[in-house]
Amino acid sequence: MVNVRNISLLALAAVVLISCKKKEEEPCDPVPEGQLKVSVQPMYGAQNLYLDSTYTTTEGYDVQFTSIKFYMENARNGSSQLIDAGLFDYGERGTLLFESEGAHENFTSFNANLGVHESINHNDPAAFPSESVLNIQNSNDMYWGWNPGFIFVKVEARVDTIQDANALFDHNVVFHIGKDENFKTLTFSDINWTDIGGAHEFQLKLEMDKFLQNGSSVIDLKNEFTSHSGAGQEVLSDKVISNFRDALSPL
Amino acid sequence: MRYLILSIGLLFIALGCKKDKVFSGPTPYELDIPSHFPTMIIPDDNPMTVEGVELGRRLFYDKRLSGDNSQACATCHLPSAGFSDPEQFSTGIDGIQGDRNSMALINLGWNTSFFWDGRSKTLEEQIIEPVVNPIEMHEEWKDVIDKLSGDQRYQEMFGQAFMTKTIDSLNAAKAMAQFIRTLISSDSKFDVMYRYEYNFELSPEEEAIYQTITPSEWAGYDLFKSLNGADCFHCHNGPLMQVHKFSNNGLDATFTDLGRGLVTGNPNDNGKFKVPTLRNIAYTAPYMHDGRFQTLDEVIDHYSFGVVMSPTIDPNMEFASQGGVQLDAFERDLLKQFLMTLTDDNFVNNPNFQEPQ
Repeated sequence: MVNVRNISLLALAAVVLISCKKKEEEPCDPVPEGQLKVSVQPMYGAQNLYLDSTYTTTEGYDVQFTSIKFYMENARNGSSQLIDAGLFDYGERGTLLFESEGAHENFTSFNANLGVHESINHNDPAAFPSESVLNIQNSNDMYWGWNPGFIFVKVEARVDTIQDANALFDHNVVFHIGKDENFKTLTFSDINWTDIGGAHEFQLKLEMDKFLQNGSSVIDLKNEFTSHSGAGQEVLSDKVISNFRDALSPL
Repeated sequence: MRYLILSIGLLFIALGCKKDKVFSGPTPYELDIPSHFPTMIIPDDNPMTVEGVELGRRLFYDKRLSGDNSQACATCHLPSAGFSDPEQFSTGIDGIQGDRNSMALINLGWNTSFFWDGRSKTLEEQIIEPVVNPIEMHEEWKDVIDKLSGDQRYQEMFGQAFMTKTIDSLNAAKAMAQFIRTLISSDSKFDVMYRYEYNFELSPEEEAIYQTITPSEWAGYDLFKSLNGADCFHCHNGPLMQVHKFSNNGLDATFTDLGRGLVTGNPNDNGKFKVPTLRNIAYTAPYMHDGRFQTLDEVIDHYSFGVVMSPTIDPNMEFASQGGVQLDAFERDLLKQFLMTLTDDNFVNNPNFQEPQ
């Protein structure tokens, strides 16, 4: 009986000791699948494009792009989602479109939305999680109140269409495309992810010369320099976002 | 029996050992963020506390932060003026005037750059500068610290807020940043219009305000958002009534103040200034970075037909080549009526924002 008591006492003491023992470290998280990075390099012809630098269109106009931004939403391959939403802002964020966690082998191809799907496009912009690029703190001037909803693609520039010795840029270019009917989809196949040391990167190029002249779909900046996707601007709005979509391709 | 008692005792010890230690320190401050606002990001190294906010408030109104003990932050950021200065240029302790209008301190917790040229990226960083600026408070922080350290009340308040007896500029700036983050304006007629627009459920009080919104105010709001109307929304958007960017809004053809260009060194930024919020605009005259416009009418006139072209003009000033958006007198009046809905008297008169006794 005494032995039983002693054993009980010892067992209880052991429980006490275990309980008082410093909390063991949390088990490690599962090994991360890896960092995936998708970037976009704006180009003009064979050269990298820089904001505020001067390029010449096929019509002979000098053009300086001052802002290039767009939303890519719901990038996924089947049931695997690569990212819920990414925001490209060349002026503020450089070439980064988004970073996410995942196994690059799962994304040898993926589909994505160019713009924001109508199912969430008109939601309260402050209600998205604070880390989401759709939250109004992060969307900033990519959200507008009159529609209301997100601007899918924004291209701003100034252009000199008067071919004389005067380097005056005679008017501004403002393309703000973002109504539900302007929504487009993107498909990227046979993706080669590049190992960049601990992460994998997929690089896209955005050919702004192609944006202006996409085969027979030409944006003549002398006459077509403003669209807010409003009434009467449907044709230009569609041309702008269609050309923009076609200007995006793997680098 | 004794084993039973011993066992129970050990069991209590075991349970007691599992309990976390109780941390006694500053009291977390719960910001009351309106449901139609985004989340405010608080820096990890400066969490909001009741004690920190109260200390920050006291510092904000303390004239000992200036060289001759004559000026506090509140001297140029008056609550009655939406925490801005009714003078075009504020005058420092040495009688020297600045060359930019004092900015309103409204909803700064959501801002990502500070000063008209955005040279500070955090509130904490921004707060450090006016104290040592020779044309403002013209004081050395070490002298401020000496003055504050001799005050028993501050010793206690810094101790309670930051768990340290050492008073320094970093904690002083942190405390004031905490106070400024509480300066939230969200109780205007516009807020009811916005919440209605986005299908938020209106409280009975909001419903009552909603009933007072006039057709002219709604029409002014439509003009405000109209691409072919006043076209204001490109830069003044969302519940904060601003976007975070720098813009040249067509004030001058050539620049006497390079603005953002002074910070970046990029000539493409010359003449650009931070886009301010329009909240409480009726209280925050004069307007523009240099306070050149004394009235809202002058501001609306500028955007209607006073815009001038320059190399860095914001592309969103789409009617710049025509001199502006060409609002007629009736439209200008509607727009003004809408701008008046951004007034938040509860903000300006909030007792928690006033000078502590």
